Formats: sequence, structure tokens, C-alpha cells
Amino acid sequence: MPFRTRCSAVCGLGSAINVSRTTARPAALRIPSAPRVSATRQYATAVAPASQSLRVPDDYIPPTQPPTARPSDTRKSQLLRSYTSLLRLTPLMLIFQHNNLTAVEWAAIRRELRAALADVPQTGTQEVDIASKIHIEVIRTRMFDMALKIVEYFDPSKVAPTLATTLTGGKVKTVYNHDLSEAAYEAVRAATKANKVQPDSSVYSELAPLMVGPLAVLTFPVVSPQHLAAALKVLSPSPPTFPAPTRRKRPSYYDMTAQSGLQKLLLVGGRVEGKVFDIDGVKWVGGIESGLEGLRAQLVHMLQSAGLGLTTTLEGAGKSLWLTMESRRSVLEEAEKGPQEGEKTGS
Amino acid sequence: MLTQFIIEVSTRFNPFSASAKTARLFLTRLPPSARASGMSITTQLLPRNSTEPSALKIKFKDGLEMKLDCETMNIKSVVEVVDRHSRQLQKQADLE
Repeated sequence: MPFRTRCSAVCGLGSAINVSRTTARPAALRIPSAPRVSATRQYATAVAPASQSLRVPDDYIPPTQPPTARPSDTRKSQLLRSYTSLLRLTPLMLIFQHNNLTAVEWAAIRRELRAALADVPQTGTQEVDIASKIHIEVIRTRMFDMALKIVEYFDPSKVAPTLATTLTGGKVKTVYNHDLSEAAYEAVRAATKANKVQPDSSVYSELAPLMVGPLAVLTFPVVSPQHLAAALKVLSPSPPTFPAPTRRKRPSYYDMTAQSGLQKLLLVGGRVEGKVFDIDGVKWVGGIESGLEGLRAQLVHMLQSAGLGLTTTLEGAGKSLWLTMESRRSVLEEAEKGPQEGEKTGS
Repeated sequence: MLTQFIIEVSTRFNPFSASAKTARLFLTRLPPSARASGMSITTQLLPRNSTEPSALKIKFKDGLEMKLDCETMNIKSVVEVVDRHSRQLQKQADLE
């Protein structure tokens, strides 16, 4: 069977192809036009009469298809990739356990969540629409667990480059550090050997006990306590701080489907900026009333008032010294003056 | 798992402890319409640093109350124990 190269593989080679090779390309494209007899023949003869110089090296690896440790074309592998990128990009994530929710219940919950998030007032500094990018997503627990391990134990920047063959047969240094690579697989395997004790401080070892049963994650693109509070009010209401929307304001929240769905949804934990929080911790983050801006304002105020106190304190010592000296001087002056005046009056 | 003879399930666990697995998986074994068909399910989540053991209490229609030890039993053995009693109730119901 002739070696077939996909157009995308050849076209995406930019850096790998030499100048001499690129000049040869029009020739290769012209070849099929000569014996064109029918549409079907054209496809079959496209590469077949290629000369030796046009042969792709046997160990050539297209840059768009790097070698992988797991089969790259399976759904699970692609899920793993999407989960690792989700974990790397999402600063705030809530983890829910869902116990046999039906599709209509999911739809009702998503509807209520969207409505609640849309009601959150946008603060001036946020140009982007956060609410539309907050999603609740059912995950495959096992693949998510693997993705957590990869994100925790695999550092793509530390992978050594390997030599890869270009189309012309030359060698170029290439780094295969994607999440399905051999390097990622080995790093995870070395870190999670059966006899190796996991350090308690790692995020993975803290999150690992949560990775049981059917899970769903609620992902936020930024740490926004207002949006988190709105989501908590809908998904896991706890009356004093996070009351559920009122029946008058949101009647559809109280219909049978939404309520039965919410009863089966269980908030088990969260991950905020790489730290693991339990429910109380998540509620604490959601309870930051004025958001991050407010926290920053508080901090600035605190630092400013501290500075003010410091300057007055430092000033105070000098000031009191000056006052003491000044009073002492006036006393001395008076003492000097006093007798003189007395002498004057006496004489 | 036979669930039509269970009238009450109450669980209590700390999701960050490994022993919560059994209780959490038991909740997933209940059918979607469990609450609608009259089963009362209560779940209490403990804070992360609590060392209280996970608890799973099941009440049957005939009044039997089961307290299952989640620390030592896995979900398979819990289902086995629950099903054993449910099958007895099923037999009685069939004879009547």
C-alpha cells in the first residue's frame, strides 16, 4: 500500500520543510493531473507514481500527530485532555455528587442556575460576561481522577527534547510534552506507585477521596464570590447566608422536577485557586460579600491606616522631644531672665 | 438492588475521608424516583477535619432498622445485606 500523507500533515509542516522541499511541492501536485482519466483514478494514482525523492521517511512523525502513550483517537483520551485543560484553566470549581438525576431534572437545574447567575449585577471592572461561562458539567470520575494526577505530578516544561525526523530526512529537536505523551504517563506512574506514600500536602491526595461515584463539576472562569454565592443559593441553599430564591421571585425553582433534582445533587467539595475546600470553606469564599474588589479595598484601607499610624508614631517621638526641649529652654530662659530682672530691680 | 421495601435512608459522612465511599455509593444505588415513591432520604455532610465514622441507617417497611458499618463494609456487602432482608419481605408480600 502506498504511503499516504494527509494534506493537513504536509501543510502544517511550515518549519520542518526545507526550501528545496517546498520547490518540489508543485511538481508533486502536478503529477496526478497527467494520467487523469476519471475522478476515482485521480485519487488512486495521486501518490503511487511518486519518485524516490518524494517518499516520506519511514520514521517520519507528522507534527499534528505526535506519539502518545494512550491511544489518541479514543473518547477517553480526548476526555482526559479536555479535563486537564479544564483543571489548568479553572480557578474556581465546585464538585457535586449527582445521584441518578434524570435529563429533565438536569435541564431544570441548569435553567435555574442560568437565571440566578444572570441576575448577578456586573461590577464595573469586569468587561467579560462571566455568567455565560459558568457551566455545570457531568464528568467521568475515573478520567477526571487521572487528569488530576497529570496536572499535579507532570510538569510539561521539564520534558527533555527528542530528535524527530523531518520530511526531508533531517533531524530536529522536538518536545513531546502533551498530556497523553509517554513523559506524562511515566511521571504519573512514578509519582503514584503503590508503595510510595503520597504527601498529604498535595492537591491530588486531598481531592482523591472525593473522586468516588458519579460526579459533576461547576466551573467558574474567574474567582467571583458574587457568582459563587448566586450558584450556591440555587444548588445548595443554606438559609441564613445562602437562602434559596423566594417562591414569589422564582416560581419555577419550586416545581417538582427542579426540586427533586436539587434533592439529589450533593455538594461535596471545591477547589479554589489550587486549594481544596470543604463545604464550609466554599461557603466562606461565597460569603465574601463585596467580592475580590471589596477585599482589595479593605486591604488598601488597612495598609493606609497602618501607614498613617506609623507616621504619627514616628513623628510623635521627635515631636515630644522637641516639646520637652522647647519647654526646658523656656524654663531656662525664664530662669536666666528672672535673676537679671531681680538684680535690675534690686540695683 | 431491591429498594421498594426501604422507607428511610439516612447517611452521615465526611466526603474527605476514604470511609465515606460506601455511604456515597449507596445513595447512588437508589432509583431516580425514590423520593417521589415515599422514601425519605437524609444526608448529613460532616466538615473536612471531623473524624466521626461514616454512618448509614436504613429503615424497612416491616420496621426493621439497619445500622451498617461503612468503615469495614464495601458497597457490595451492603447491597447483599439489604437485599437479603428485602427478598424476605418480597416473599411475604408474594404469599399474601
